[in-house]
Amino acid sequence: MKRLELLSRILITLAIVGAVGTPLYFWSRTPLIHARIAENGGWTPDVIRANVGEPLHLKLTSDDVVHGFAVGQMDMQSVDVLPGKVTDLTLIFDKPGIYTFYCTRWCGLNHWRMRGTIEVGGSSSDTQPASAPLYVTLKINIDAPHNAPTIPVQKPSALRGQSFSTQLPITNSTNYYRANSPYQVFDELSNTSLTETERWDVAAYLWQSNTTAESLANGQRLYAQNCAACHGENGAGDGVFADDLTALGATLQRSMTGDNKMTMQTPADFTDPKRMMGASPALLQGKILRGGMGTGMPMWGSIFTEEQIWDLIAYLYSFQFEYQK
Amino acid sequence: MHSRFFLLILIIAGLVVAFVPLSFRPIAPQERTFRIGARQFAYSPSELKVNPGDKVTIQLVSTDVVHGLYIDGYDISIEADPGQTAALNFFADKPGSFRFRCNVTCGAMHPFMIGKLTVGSNQWLYRSIGLSIIAAISLFFIRSTRPSDRQLPITIY
Ligand code: HEC
Ligand SMILES: [Cu+2]
Ligand SMILES: [Cu+2]
Repeated sequence: MKRLELLSRILITLAIVGAVGTPLYFWSRTPLIHARIAENGGWTPDVIRANVGEPLHLKLTSDDVVHGFAVGQMDMQSVDVLPGKVTDLTLIFDKPGIYTFYCTRWCGLNHWRMRGTIEVGGSSSDTQPASAPLYVTLKINIDAPHNAPTIPVQKPSALRGQSFSTQLPITNSTNYYRANSPYQVFDELSNTSLTETERWDVAAYLWQSNTTAESLANGQRLYAQNCAACHGENGAGDGVFADDLTALGATLQRSMTGDNKMTMQTPADFTDPKRMMGASPALLQGKILRGGMGTGMPMWGSIFTEEQIWDLIAYLYSFQFEYQK
Repeated sequence: MHSRFFLLILIIAGLVVAFVPLSFRPIAPQERTFRIGARQFAYSPSELKVNPGDKVTIQLVSTDVVHGLYIDGYDISIEADPGQTAALNFFADKPGSFRFRCNVTCGAMHPFMIGKLTVGSNQWLYRSIGLSIIAAISLFFIRSTRPSDRQLPITIY
């Protein structure tokens, strides 16, 4: 009797310890990822390994200021990584490959440098060959100056442009839109009876017809979160870090071509018609995908999906065109 | 006798300073917008003055890391990332002086990131300054006239 009771007591105790201890054991085994501003090391560790289809548990904490965590090109809600707190996160990858994780809360001039990789191993059935970006197939030199020789006298209006859009010598299509700058459209219409203002209006109409209100709203949101700190909330290249970047450029004197030395570190002004009318969506896509390679413009190719980048580009042109609501 | 008259004036002046409502400038509620820059570890401007009843908008512009702004007493807050100006709207319906502070850990000196919101002209400050001046004058006056004071009951009334 006595022994039986003792035995059952021991069994119950073991069961309780097991029930509480097992998850605790696994929790303590998942490594804690520390976030620090890029100047102090960024993420440690910054390489994480995972397997396809297996849940990846992550614990995140910050050693200094507020950071955020998200994985590029993945449909997930970003999470905040706060000092003195531990954030738990579980991810499942359904394709092998190398993913980029990045900080989602602005933590200084070098915030965008806070990136790391997740190497997801395993075999997958569908490995699509990565197609070359449009600027490569179109052979656009994205580092060459691309100012439009002439600019509109007034803001081109898509509404006005629509009325001239019938019987045009050009066929409107996604491919046409992506490969041409508004200035090229303006130029191609030069032997029609349209006035210069009307030709710009047609360009505005074509640009609007190749996007949607939803895309523009998505582009605006992405722009505010990822670009406005440098390029300015209104696109004028005057974001809160613009001066810091310019100062950095002046000290580094970084230059790739020599002739545009000083402008290398100043964020592009999207409200400048010369720049935007002379740029095709393919060119802008190239710049956003690849980054400036030392100009201060980050590369976003591993962060955004193709669709997100087209949404961003559509939004960038909205600083130039008047779209009907 | 002169002195008594003077004392009376001092008392009346004291009462006036302490209790007369300061409404010579009727304050109509206004809409006010402040743009506050936040960087480690200060706000600029760090002192805001509004009148009771004003509709206040605070735009918080962070220029380095994520900062917050929490107003004591009003119990409201916002948070701003660099590049994403955040706006806080409220009615300044509670008069007084309130501290605002950063409620997002933004680095080592974060607890010292503070500012002040004053709702209403700071009447009590002015009144107490006025009162202490009067008190000082009367003290000085009573001191210097004490001998004649004693004779007052006989001469007057
Ligand atoms: C850390 C600062 C910074 C951030 C953040 C940033 N940019 Fe830039 N960007 C620059 C600088 C500096 C340049 C100019 C140098 C260059 O063209 O490489 C630039 C240039 C560009 C250009 C080239 C324009 C042209 O005419 O060639 C595009 C397009 C662009 N940025 C888009 C974006 C988008 C979209 C985002 C957000 C997803 C973004 N940038 C975020 C700094 C930044
Ligand atoms: Cu960060
Ligand atoms: Cu702060």
